[in-house]
Amino acid sequence: MIVNKNILLAFFFSLSISANSQTDWVRWEKSDGSYQIKDNYLDREYDLSIESGSDIIVKPVINTYWFFISDVDGANCPFQPSCSSFLVQSIRETNPFQGIIMFFDRFTRDMNVFGRLENYPIYGKNHFYDPISLYTLDENKIKIIPASTFINE
Amino acid sequence: MKTKLFLILIVVCSPIYSQQIDFNSPQNIKLFADFLFCDKDYLRAIEEYEKYLKVIDSDTVKFKIALSYSLMNDQYSAFQKFSSANNSSTFYEQSGIEILKSLYLLKEDSLFYLFSNDLINSKSQFSNNAQKLLNTSILMTEKKLPDENIFFKPFENEEKIILRKFYNQKLNRPYKSEFAAGIFSAIIPGAGKIYTSNYGDGITAFILSGLLTYLAYTNFEHNHPTRAWIFTALGTGFYAGNVYGSVASAQIFNAKVNFDFENGLKIFLEEKNYFTPTYDLCK
Amino acid sequence: MIFVNKKIVFFVLLAIINLHPQTSLQQQFDTANELYNQEKYFNAITELKRLKLFDKENLYSFQSNLLIGKSYKAGAKFDEAIKYFTLAEMDATNDEGYFDSKILSARTNILRRTTKQAERILNELKYDSRFMLKANEIKYWQGWNYIFSDEWDKAYEIFSTNNLDTTLANLCKSVDEELYSVEFAKYSSYLIPGSGQFYTGEYISGALSIGWNILFGYLTINAFVEDRVFDGIMVGNFLWLRFYSGNIQNAEKFVVQKNLEISNKALKYLQFQFKGEKP
Repeated sequence: MIVNKNILLAFFFSLSISANSQTDWVRWEKSDGSYQIKDNYLDREYDLSIESGSDIIVKPVINTYWFFISDVDGANCPFQPSCSSFLVQSIRETNPFQGIIMFFDRFTRDMNVFGRLENYPIYGKNHFYDPISLYTLDENKIKIIPASTFINE
Repeated sequence: MKTKLFLILIVVCSPIYSQQIDFNSPQNIKLFADFLFCDKDYLRAIEEYEKYLKVIDSDTVKFKIALSYSLMNDQYSAFQKFSSANNSSTFYEQSGIEILKSLYLLKEDSLFYLFSNDLINSKSQFSNNAQKLLNTSILMTEKKLPDENIFFKPFENEEKIILRKFYNQKLNRPYKSEFAAGIFSAIIPGAGKIYTSNYGDGITAFILSGLLTYLAYTNFEHNHPTRAWIFTALGTGFYAGNVYGSVASAQIFNAKVNFDFENGLKIFLEEKNYFTPTYDLCK
Repeated sequence: MIFVNKKIVFFVLLAIINLHPQTSLQQQFDTANELYNQEKYFNAITELKRLKLFDKENLYSFQSNLLIGKSYKAGAKFDEAIKYFTLAEMDATNDEGYFDSKILSARTNILRRTTKQAERILNELKYDSRFMLKANEIKYWQGWNYIFSDEWDKAYEIFSTNNLDTTLANLCKSVDEELYSVEFAKYSSYLIPGSGQFYTGEYISGALSIGWNILFGYLTINAFVEDRVFDGIMVGNFLWLRFYSGNIQNAEKFVVQKNLEISNKALKYLQFQFKGEKP
């Protein structure tokens, strides 16, 4: 998309010009900078807290799935949050029925291997960002991030 | 004899004194501050200018302090500083249009409208600029767009060409109907997603639903009821998911239309620097 | 009499002033240096920039650029620090100054983890005949560069040669011995699924891996033996292959994770407890 390229170009251009002067736009103090290397793993949210009614069934099932199967067969979901996390979050945000339907839709998108770069932002090194907030049918929750932007939370 | 010795000593010592630079003299402070300002080292420039103002009052320096805050994107401080310029200041009119820019960026809508109307009705050399910013800002709101002639009057020709696209889009946003997307996908799985330009997803949804229906059908035919029911359940799930997903994708499509529109306008305004003048403060 | 006394006082004063002709530029530099020593780095840079502006003959350009670079480095603003060290290098009036600015630039590159650039700078210094006497210092920083680029074995080689630094040599050796081998984990997992995980101490994951692989391997081969080719392909592809490749992925992942923990532990020790010279 032309607009998106402009944003990226403008962003990088302004970075290169003002990189040096911008550092001193806020007073800074002595700092050591850390020697340690940051780790960026996408860790599982193993979590047994019961926050809503559906959690009583969903949590144990999902945690069992993660422990016995998902953690052993490698990272197969190209998206972040992973498909199983997506299911858990969508059930939590909406209701079990809607959550399961959202999961089927997500699985369909997972099956489509084409056009990911043009449709999703990039998370970390090789995942695509696809949060549930886009799919809850609540317009106010939708926050558009242009495709191919890098996200690094 | 003594006076000659005295004079010789003075002559010998004076070169040393002429090398002495008073770093804290007001003109040297201003020299340094101007250098920092042109070097984009705005925070330091502000500190030096404030030191200068303690000794000598200057409209230009006050304006530069405010401009430094604005260039560092601290619009609140910029607004405060620009507002302190009074009628007698040489930069009174420039401060006016800069205040308008700060109010716009601070999203202070009511103050922005009040002030823009003030500025437009005053005899300032920047009344037209204010009108440009006001008109452009209307595109971002839900307010009713004024008539074409009134809207485009303050702009130059090249600006008119760019803004016309936004003006037309505002009148006719190319939205997709969520209801239509849902219905299309209910009739033909995936059609709704193709309607919202998600071609790959639409085709995948079609293939999945079709495949599972076929598998369910053949398993019922060959009397494998358990498998057949599993495939039926999965097929139903994917069918429902496809309808739901089409409605969601129409919503996302519309949100993207809004996002592109606002972003495009934002880029346009940034390029024009919100219709504020360019200053010749760094030669 | 009084007149004579006043003259004597006057001449004595002039003589005193002549003996200590501190120029204002030197005073300004001293002020900035004092601020630097008090760790007020932002202000130090302000005063140094002021000095640079009024120093028309560039008498202080080397010292001021170097000190600005050191101030930025102390505030962990590495990009700016390197920029000013490079300027200082160009303005250096003697070999000593040139060496100082280059070494500081190398050390900042190490901290910034742009280790290739640090290596390049250090090599330039190593092959420069003017600095043969500084070979040990150059080697010391080369060792640190290897530490930061995670090559603990090469770091050990450097620190142990001629007893350059025994503490660091011992540390590097112990880290290098503790580190797991990615290749070993991967290849053993190719042969026996789960063995890579056992190697890194992830017994549960290893056991699960080996379990699933045996189960689906048996089912696939069984299907082929019983001539149910389609079933065999389905199970083999969607289940066995998935768990097999997952096993390889996990073997590598655990090695990388564990190695990162080991490296970070050593780096933490180096940052907070090591008493020697640090970048």
